[in-house]
Amino acid sequence: MRPGDEALTAEALCFNYREREILRKVSFQVNHGELCGLLGPNGSGKTTLLKCLNGLLSPRSGRVTVQGREIAKLPREEIARRIAVVPQELNIVFAFSVLQMVLMAGSVRFGLAGIPKMKDRHQATEVLEELNIQHLAPRRYNELSGGEKQMVLIARALFQGTGILLLDEPTSHLDFKRQHTVLECIRRITLEKGLTTIMTLHDPNAAGVYCDRLIMLNQGRVRYQGLRDEVFHVESLESTYDMKIHMGRTDSGASYVTPVYEI
Amino acid sequence: MRIPSAFLLVALLLLACVGFALTTGQYHISLETLWKVLAAKFAGCAPNEDLATPAMVLWSVRLPRVLMAILAGAALSVGGVVFQGIMKNPLVSPSFLGVTHGAVFGASLAIIFLGKSAISIESSAFFWAVAAVAIVYAIGGRGINTLTTLVIAGVIVSTFFMAASSFLKYIADPNEQLPAIVFWTMGGLNNVLWTQVIRAMAIIVIGIGVILTFRGKLNLLALGDEEALSMGVNVKVMRILFMLFATLIVAAGSSSCGIIMWVDLIVAHIARLIVGPDHGKLVPFSALLGALFLLSTDTVVRLLPGGEIPISIVTSFIGAPLLGYLLMKQNNAWKA
Repeated sequence: MRPGDEALTAEALCFNYREREILRKVSFQVNHGELCGLLGPNGSGKTTLLKCLNGLLSPRSGRVTVQGREIAKLPREEIARRIAVVPQELNIVFAFSVLQMVLMAGSVRFGLAGIPKMKDRHQATEVLEELNIQHLAPRRYNELSGGEKQMVLIARALFQGTGILLLDEPTSHLDFKRQHTVLECIRRITLEKGLTTIMTLHDPNAAGVYCDRLIMLNQGRVRYQGLRDEVFHVESLESTYDMKIHMGRTDSGASYVTPVYEI
Repeated sequence: MRIPSAFLLVALLLLACVGFALTTGQYHISLETLWKVLAAKFAGCAPNEDLATPAMVLWSVRLPRVLMAILAGAALSVGGVVFQGIMKNPLVSPSFLGVTHGAVFGASLAIIFLGKSAISIESSAFFWAVAAVAIVYAIGGRGINTLTTLVIAGVIVSTFFMAASSFLKYIADPNEQLPAIVFWTMGGLNNVLWTQVIRAMAIIVIGIGVILTFRGKLNLLALGDEEALSMGVNVKVMRILFMLFATLIVAAGSSSCGIIMWVDLIVAHIARLIVGPDHGKLVPFSALLGALFLLSTDTVVRLLPGGEIPISIVTSFIGAPLLGYLLMKQNNAWKA
């Protein structure tokens, strides 16, 4: 795959939970090497959309294609070789260590039994080193802080070795500093490894800083989509979030937005 | 303790326990005699007159019993680990999904209506144990909250079979059939026949073999359906496969020895405390530990001074306080 090639495409996706329409004719294309942000208020369908992109949910109509192949026709193993998912949070019952958690992501490569070999352990350790969290390897996942858990989940997705990463609100439980540490990490690995990354975000400013492409959802519809500089403006954000927004510029010239306070 | 050392220690203890169980009992057999009998058997020649009695005790009584204890212990423990893994719940055991009550119903049915032959009791217990889990899966295996609905369906089906078994006990002949049902539900490895060992061995060896083949996938199922799916596991197929083979091995163990309580739950916990939650190691280790636990318990039961008592009494006396102790000591005993 080369930069600019089509990586993931949604065509007229519609999804219902019983009678409730969650996604309404959602269409977009994300190209290879892009970091794409999915913005929208709570309940706008971001998480549902991510699950449809990964084939975890089947849309009522429309289709998703990954690297030109329709996802509905791919077996789970094939999808796992192409797309890795970082969930918003993951609470587990059994006390797996961080290294074990990372190793599990390579299961699809480990044959029937799904048992890693020594070289897989070395590779998993290398991924932890890449993210500077190798010291966490023997720790129990359950006992980590929110930020550490998020980094482990990203390491796990990297070890899965796919070309596409889907992240569901990777910063939702993190403090201000850690939000940016995690987002910088996502940006860095996307660039260095030539990944295609799609993440849902609550903070439009973070999306404005870190993403190449933005898709803005409201009530299950795509309101705006395109390259960041084309769509990151007051009109699109006000329409997406149904609120008054003020846009300013930092000393370095970057745009930022704040709500228009009426108090 | 390092994990390889734990495997080695349990394997050596099991070997020692096998030697002790084969040589000790009402009729003592020395290690030398044991060796001679085994050598004669494997050489294919009949033992001489001096060895006739020990050979008979060994081949007809002790060896089938020891083998059955090893097989049933391994089967129940691996069944416990598998069910806990796929249900993401360290407090689940195969009995939660109806295996035990299905087996009791099947055995009671056979004792009352099919005579008391070992094969009819065993076959009926096996059939109804598997049928109970199949009904549980048919009721609770659909929908989005499968794990919760399966446990609820397990409670429903278990309650139904419990009521049906109570009815059978009520209509059973109180002099012969009722005591036979009661003793069967308390478990026991006395009177185990080679034919039973061979039938159980075929199912348990194949079942544990299949579970060992796919054991790494249990780690992913233990994280949850979406996680497992995202990492390439066909959750539905794998869950059915694990449930099927875990049910078969537990049913094979229970139908041959009656109900042996707590082994599935307690051995899974202790094994997890020793080797951790990675099913790659946990499944084989729990098989070894379960075999050791049941063989040593059965040997103790067999050698009690006042005569043999049903094994479930002892496994429950050991299992319940031990689990309570682990919970008190570690708060979350399974989080080892």
